[in-house]
Amino acid sequence: MSPNARRVVVVPCSGIGKTYGSVSREAAYVITEELRPETTALVALSQLVLGDPAARAVVAGAPTITIDGCQLACASKMVRESGGAVAREFAVLEVYRRHRALKPRGIAELNEGGLRLAEALADEAAAVADALTADGQG
Amino acid sequence: MPDLPKKKVGIVACSGEELAEGTVTRLAALQVLERLRPGDTVTICLPLFLAGGQGDRAFAKFYPTIAIDGCAERCAARATERYSGEPAASVVVTDVAAERGLGPLAGRRRLNEAGQLAVAATAEKAAALVDELLEKKGWSRRTGAFVEAAPAAFEAPAGAPASAATCACGSGIPVSTLMVDGQAVTLAALPLILEQFRAAGKALADQTARELLEAVGVYNPIPGGAEERYAAALLHEYQVFCGQEQGKGTSA
Repeated sequence: MSPNARRVVVVPCSGIGKTYGSVSREAAYVITEELRPETTALVALSQLVLGDPAARAVVAGAPTITIDGCQLACASKMVRESGGAVAREFAVLEVYRRHRALKPRGIAELNEGGLRLAEALADEAAAVADALTADGQG
Repeated sequence: MPDLPKKKVGIVACSGEELAEGTVTRLAALQVLERLRPGDTVTICLPLFLAGGQGDRAFAKFYPTIAIDGCAERCAARATERYSGEPAASVVVTDVAAERGLGPLAGRRRLNEAGQLAVAATAEKAAALVDELLEKKGWSRRTGAFVEAAPAAFEAPAGAPASAATCACGSGIPVSTLMVDGQAVTLAALPLILEQFRAAGKALADQTARELLEAVGVYNPIPGGAEERYAAALLHEYQVFCGQEQGKGTSA
């Protein structure tokens, strides 16, 4: 991917009090730092809440993957309210239902199950990012 | 005016996922909520001011709130002020780190040593602010600010149930939705108000409707000209509530 090509934006939830929020954030870090650092970028939800023009421009100008920790789906809602298009909406609970063995626990520090669940989610999101990147280049 | 839940202090962290300082805000908020001042503090996820309901947007009016921000952009403080109410106090991690002479903070997933020290220092500062805010009298939930003459709306009677709001996904301010002129209206604090009116033995009468309207108006905007219709809807809601409570008593 050329340096100027647009990246797929990843927006996790900002939940601070629940395990699924921590999983959503960890998954976002795995995608943007380890799996697809060249083709994805993280945008902080708090900047979208504040209506930061730069953050809004980023989500409005690129396909976005959201990762929500609960049914309130703040990340997805905020991306849409910021003028962005949610290309794929992940919910941690849904991913956990597909990976029942990976029971997440902990908030400040996720247990092994939580870390592995985040990796599983990140793998799925990375595949989506690949497809979006291929579409964008086609 | 009804007594509502025990005075608590709200904590709103920016949680900025892009920066190590954002991680510091999140972990510091958790320390205050879970270890340093549990029982005295509640929190809400910042995005809920927009993505949530009226009860969520009432958060900073209901609770004197401390905004914990990672950087000088102060997303938490500014968004809280814009969408909920002016924070009663503010902490910025970069300021705390500078005051303590902490080195560069790094590691948004796993904080470095300076980051961990910043968590402790930020949490300590926020906990001290919690104590200050709890000591101050006269928080007005009508204006979302401290006032000279304290409206006695804050301290719950001894033994009253404390708010269960310590979760990150929802403000915990109880709300009810009722129909006014065929439209669903969500009112913050109504469940508590109904409970207290019933406990006080208020009759199903016009006077009670007026008192309900006054109490509800402390925490919610009542559109001009709609007072009578709100009062009628509130009295109906009170009647339903009393019936339900009576049913519980009989079936128990």
